[in-house]
Amino acid sequence: MIKAVPPALIFILGAMLIPLLKGKLKQAYILLVPTVAFLDIIHLNQGTSWVYHFLGYELIFCKVDRLSLVVGYIFVIIGFLAILYCLHIKEDGQHIAAFLYVGSSLGVVFAGDYFSLFVFWEIMAVSSVFLVWYQKEKSALDAGFRYLIMHIIGGCCLLAGIIIYAVNTGSLAVTYMGTGLADTFILIGFGLNAAFIPMHTWLPDAYPEGTVTGSVFMSVYTTKTGVYVLARCFSGMPFLAYMGGIMTVYGVLFALLQNDARRLLSYHIVSQVGYMVAGVGVGTELGVNGGIAHVFNHILYKALLFMCMGSVIYMTGKRKLTELGGLAKYMPVTCLACIIASLSIAGAPGFNGYVSKGMVITAAAEKHMPILELMMVLAAVGTFLSFVKLCYFTFFAPNEEIKAKEAPVNMQLAMLLTAFLCVFIGVYPKVLFHVLPYNPVLYHPYTPSHIVGTIQLFMLAGLVFILAKDMVAPHRASILDFDYFYRMGGRCLVWVCVVPLSNFRFRLQVFSSRAVDLIVRLAKNPIMILEIPAAYAYLRITQGLRYVSGYSSAESYDENLYRRPIGVGVLVAITLLFALALIYFIF
Amino acid sequence: MEEMLKKIFYILTALCIPAGFFIKHEHAIFFWHKIPSIETVFGFFGAFLLILGTRILASFAQRKEDFYD
Repeated sequence: MIKAVPPALIFILGAMLIPLLKGKLKQAYILLVPTVAFLDIIHLNQGTSWVYHFLGYELIFCKVDRLSLVVGYIFVIIGFLAILYCLHIKEDGQHIAAFLYVGSSLGVVFAGDYFSLFVFWEIMAVSSVFLVWYQKEKSALDAGFRYLIMHIIGGCCLLAGIIIYAVNTGSLAVTYMGTGLADTFILIGFGLNAAFIPMHTWLPDAYPEGTVTGSVFMSVYTTKTGVYVLARCFSGMPFLAYMGGIMTVYGVLFALLQNDARRLLSYHIVSQVGYMVAGVGVGTELGVNGGIAHVFNHILYKALLFMCMGSVIYMTGKRKLTELGGLAKYMPVTCLACIIASLSIAGAPGFNGYVSKGMVITAAAEKHMPILELMMVLAAVGTFLSFVKLCYFTFFAPNEEIKAKEAPVNMQLAMLLTAFLCVFIGVYPKVLFHVLPYNPVLYHPYTPSHIVGTIQLFMLAGLVFILAKDMVAPHRASILDFDYFYRMGGRCLVWVCVVPLSNFRFRLQVFSSRAVDLIVRLAKNPIMILEIPAAYAYLRITQGLRYVSGYSSAESYDENLYRRPIGVGVLVAITLLFALALIYFIF
Repeated sequence: MEEMLKKIFYILTALCIPAGFFIKHEHAIFFWHKIPSIETVFGFFGAFLLILGTRILASFAQRKEDFYD
């Protein structure tokens, strides 16, 4: 029997063959790779394998347990669906970047040591930025650089933490962490990927600028690997629970003000990742199960939302809600998929978000965290409002100017399959419960009070939407976030480099050049060291005397004035030689 | 058509409020879990609070679209 390989290897090696294939064969091949990876994950045995010794440390490429398996499953499933969605893309570079991104994310999930985790972590950052840059616009290029800078800073923090951890413990094993210095650095590194406030700015900045297909991948992997490593290393930390709560409300508040459809979705990633972080922070079996179940479900509906908005942008060329509207009659499949995804993210009964969101909120209540519970309920109301807004202003608001066709078949198929999974898990959550980290799952999502309570929540929020539609309506404006401070800080740094530091460099350069010039001249004739001040003093004295005596005619040039007999030169040479010989003999 | 849909929505909203009085919370932990139809209050005032929050946020953080360009 063939031994199961690390799933990361399948994607990373699989990416190498993409440029060699063309046409239908390439399309079949890029769909085959995630299929093989899925079969591979099914055949992975729990425990550690693919262990190598490196510089006295153990590198583990395949650490398999229930937590890594559930995240591995969904990463590969959505990888298949996202690849189906971008099947029509001709540029090999986009496919290669996506494959490396998916592969490195799986590498992080199955890494058993911090060194290989860090390497995959960085491949993830570098490969994903190409999914932004392939948009080939200046705004995408700039956003990509900002994304990269943020992730490099996060990577440096992670590396610093790993080094301190390795020095302190003599091990690189990925285990549960505490609150020491190494742990804090590692938490900052993980937290940046999980979009902790205020380190989240790279997310709503870069994701809307990515390519139509690239953003689907980006919406899935970076933040979810962040949540996964938090669940592995920091579960049960109260800081995480409240950070999650803040993220849920913060994301929703900013999402409600957005005009760019994909920026709105990006802020909802911050909000939804907040639920996951809160679940992990609560740390009970239900909390961690809820957080990971939300990772699973969120990946499905958020990828679907990015697929839908990607289709709209692909077919209309417009990305702002103020320019969209009335697309339901032109793009019925996209509209249907978007409504299903919206109901899923809002947490309507019968859709997958309802199941996992309920688990996290119940876990917070059971842990007696009332403020956290209320924050998450408030965020659920905001999510519903926000997606009523998105669906209404994209598909139903009157707009006579817009004309569009339905998206290509592969995009429609990917959307329908993803939508089906959202409904399937919503209706039959046992299939998800079966793969969660803690088994059995003692949670019943479809209780009468929970169903009626959710419907009441949404009906009343819907009523407020109708009453205050003009206040929720999108406007052509941008909302400043924490990135304002980063950008202004960056501009200040550039100014310091360009003006004061550059001036200092110029002055230093002039001074150095003069000093070098003087040394060169003096080295040619060392006698001048004494002669120059003597001649200078003589000149000044004679000038002064002439001035006093009133003598005005300039003295004629005397070519022998600075000449010395050759014997003086010989004398200096012999003296130096003598000194050298003396030093040699003495030492 | 739109007006009719709105009327149906209003009727359903009105009907859902008393529905909570016939159902008991299975696993009440905090005092608000015991109040019937509390979710209607959360839904209405939550949405109101969030819209108020967005207006406050917009009052000092809203800029022109090309602010950074």
